[in-house]
Amino acid sequence: MSGGPPKALPSTGPQSLRDMPHPLAGSSSEEAVGGDSTPSPDLLTARSFGDKDLILPNGGTPAGTASPASSSSLLNRLQLDDDVDGETRDLFVTVDDPKKHVCTMETYITYRITTKSTRVEFDLPEYSVRRRYQDFDWLRNKLEESQPTHLIPPLPEKFVVKGVVDRFSEEFVETRRKALDKFLKRITDHPVLSFNEHFNVFLTAKDLNAHKKQGMALLTRVGESVKHVAGGYKLRSRPLEFAAIGEYLDMFALKLGTIDRIAQRIIKEEIEYLVELREYGPVYSTWSALEGQLAEPLEGVSACIGSCSTALEELTDDMTEDFLPVLREYILYSDSMKSVLKKRDQVQAEYEAKLEAVALRKEERPKVPADVEKCQDRMECFNADLKADMERWQNSKRQDFRQLLMGMADRNIQYYEKCLMAWESIIPLLQEKQEAK
Amino acid sequence: MEQAAPDPERLLQPAPLEPLSHADAGLESVVGEEAKGARDEGPGDGTMTENNFSLKKIEISVSEAEKRTGRNAMNMQETYTAYLIETRSVEHSDGQSVLTDSLWRRYSEFELLRNYLLVYYPHIVVPPLPEKRAEFVWHKLSADNMDPDFVERRRIGLENFLLRVASHPILCRDKIFYLFLTQEGNWKETVNETGFQLKADSRLKALNATFRVKNPDKRFIELKHYSDELQSVISHLLRVRARVADRLYGVYKVHGNYGRVFSEWSAIEKEMGDGLQSAGHHMDVYASSIDDILEDEEHYADQLKEYLFYAEALRAVCRKHELMQYDLEMAAQDLASKKQQCEELATGTVRTFSLKGMTTKLFGQETPEQREARIKMLEEQIKEGEQQLKSKNLEGREFVKNAWADIERFKEQKNHDLKEALISYAVMQISMCKKGIQVWTNAKECFSKM
Repeated sequence: MSGGPPKALPSTGPQSLRDMPHPLAGSSSEEAVGGDSTPSPDLLTARSFGDKDLILPNGGTPAGTASPASSSSLLNRLQLDDDVDGETRDLFVTVDDPKKHVCTMETYITYRITTKSTRVEFDLPEYSVRRRYQDFDWLRNKLEESQPTHLIPPLPEKFVVKGVVDRFSEEFVETRRKALDKFLKRITDHPVLSFNEHFNVFLTAKDLNAHKKQGMALLTRVGESVKHVAGGYKLRSRPLEFAAIGEYLDMFALKLGTIDRIAQRIIKEEIEYLVELREYGPVYSTWSALEGQLAEPLEGVSACIGSCSTALEELTDDMTEDFLPVLREYILYSDSMKSVLKKRDQVQAEYEAKLEAVALRKEERPKVPADVEKCQDRMECFNADLKADMERWQNSKRQDFRQLLMGMADRNIQYYEKCLMAWESIIPLLQEKQEAK
Repeated sequence: MEQAAPDPERLLQPAPLEPLSHADAGLESVVGEEAKGARDEGPGDGTMTENNFSLKKIEISVSEAEKRTGRNAMNMQETYTAYLIETRSVEHSDGQSVLTDSLWRRYSEFELLRNYLLVYYPHIVVPPLPEKRAEFVWHKLSADNMDPDFVERRRIGLENFLLRVASHPILCRDKIFYLFLTQEGNWKETVNETGFQLKADSRLKALNATFRVKNPDKRFIELKHYSDELQSVISHLLRVRARVADRLYGVYKVHGNYGRVFSEWSAIEKEMGDGLQSAGHHMDVYASSIDDILEDEEHYADQLKEYLFYAEALRAVCRKHELMQYDLEMAAQDLASKKQQCEELATGTVRTFSLKGMTTKLFGQETPEQREARIKMLEEQIKEGEQQLKSKNLEGREFVKNAWADIERFKEQKNHDLKEALISYAVMQISMCKKGIQVWTNAKECFSKM
């Protein structure tokens, strides 16, 4: 673990790959590695400077400052604690204040994006811009293009069935806002993605459309090279660790799908239960009107059932707004992760094919040609990025699900507590007349 | 049943008892005082010997139910359920109970008993029997009469019926009731020999009276209205409650699926695995807890059902009043017309239409002797009619007085019982909420360890 100046990225220059310190210090990417290994800080350090090749708007190098390059802050970010102390964090992004815009051609919602940062990449310490969903979509596409070796967080679903869901209802907009906020925060937390040029533009540009039109082709070298990976190479076999990741993601998505269905079913049953309760309570009131001594107790029971109905409605609303969307997000996440895995397979396939071709050529010079080296470099970078991101993803997944499921438990506890309170409060009412008799 | 001397032919020992569903209530009143002077009609004579009271308590229980097969009246094979009725007398001093009688009865015999009581005690709100067929079922409960759960709930209902009758100050003294508890063979014949079926008012007569009565006691009109409304509202309540139970069942059971999927998911996770697995277990516990909860709620539904059926008993008393009142009105009307006729004959004026008058017109005047004879006959009839009217009036007033006394007793009982039922319902809900909080707190704990 070094706190000194980062190493330069191994380039595919005149040096042979074999002479350079390998980015994955200590292990070859082709060997089967246990799925659990924490990438060394050196690796992370190296990665974060992949963007050094980018033309940064502010010029200058991000060396030596309280930069994400320092391994301790990187590790901190890996912890992804909610209460990361402000000193190590230097970028804060929030999505809030949804507003409806009515224009002749269309109606849409914009959200305010507030950015606070001490990073040199930002001209100003603070920015506030307005963005709409399609801007987020643009950002995500750009990130996928420019950072194909990384896992890009998912966006909430683009399309909603008109007529079934009201795109402008408070609940829908709030649910979407939360998801968009999460999306940006995940990017913010990522040591590589947070430095992406497009991300910066998204956060800062007054007129995003102008930038979109410019068609910024600011891809990383890796991005550029991966983009041009020829398809059609067949992978012999996925290395064990990536195969394991693939299997895990398949099963994970499957289980999440089941949980989503169960959760939806529960909400449906709860709503039907609510419908019956709403008829049940008032019957006690009707009865109460017929009675003398029993009038108050019956009315009390009616009111009680009413309170429970309200509590149940709150529960179902919360679950619909807060629980289901997060589940769906993770299903989308794992889908996009599987595509990244496939891309990785492509890169590896190309490398292996080319290597094989060289081996078959039977030349006197045993030197590995440049383009094969390029392929290997590509593959190894990809593997490294992916492994690092997987690790990160596993951690935040754990955090997110812990929070999600505890939230579900909490809401149910609150529901029962509200009902308990209602019923306990009428016991004295029911009993009092007994003594008076 | 051992007792100090009372005549078993006429009297049953006082046995004020609480019906099963009301644990602490206690209609502890000593029977004799309330029964004093309140007896109206009944088997045997109307006298009562209160001197020979022994304040022994008796316990009645319907302890078993058994499936039987036999041949019915048309000599066809049938299956039915028989219930074992056990009677114990409890010595005050040492609280020991001694089994005094034990016999088997089937539901139709209970019905026969009740029909008999309805005829002989029309001024009493006769306790209802549990339902003949399962109604207000929600999906889990079977509507089959042979279903063990239904039989069990019916057993409890029948016991409750007997306890209600036994704790009624007047009904408990009935001989036929006593024999029902003590004489297995021949009881049916004995009941039928009372000829109560013949004494029963015809449905048609009752319906006629209801429509035509001019001046029923206002309180009975209100009571009939109340019992109609009560029946309607409790039916509605029971129907919706059954649907609520159905839905609640669904909600709980679906949570059971979490148990399985969390378990499967935990298999692919490392750190999260244990937390998920144990949380899944709690979800299973949650899902299975609903069975007991809803079983308890059935008990509440049964308490409501009893009062649903009681509404019918209230209406029966009102109908009897209407019938008696109508009878009275008819008798008064008849008397008035006879008096009228008599007067006309005496004075020679014809103001009202009469067949005699008609025939006289057609066939000629009658002789003075004939007229005298007719006047005399009418006068006798009038005298008789006046006597009858007087006694009918008296009967009517007695009926109203006695019926209203029992209705007041019933109202007290109803208010007490239903309040208890509501309290127990609230307690059930509280228990359900507490269980829910417990389970989810446990699950949350497991999630926190993920």
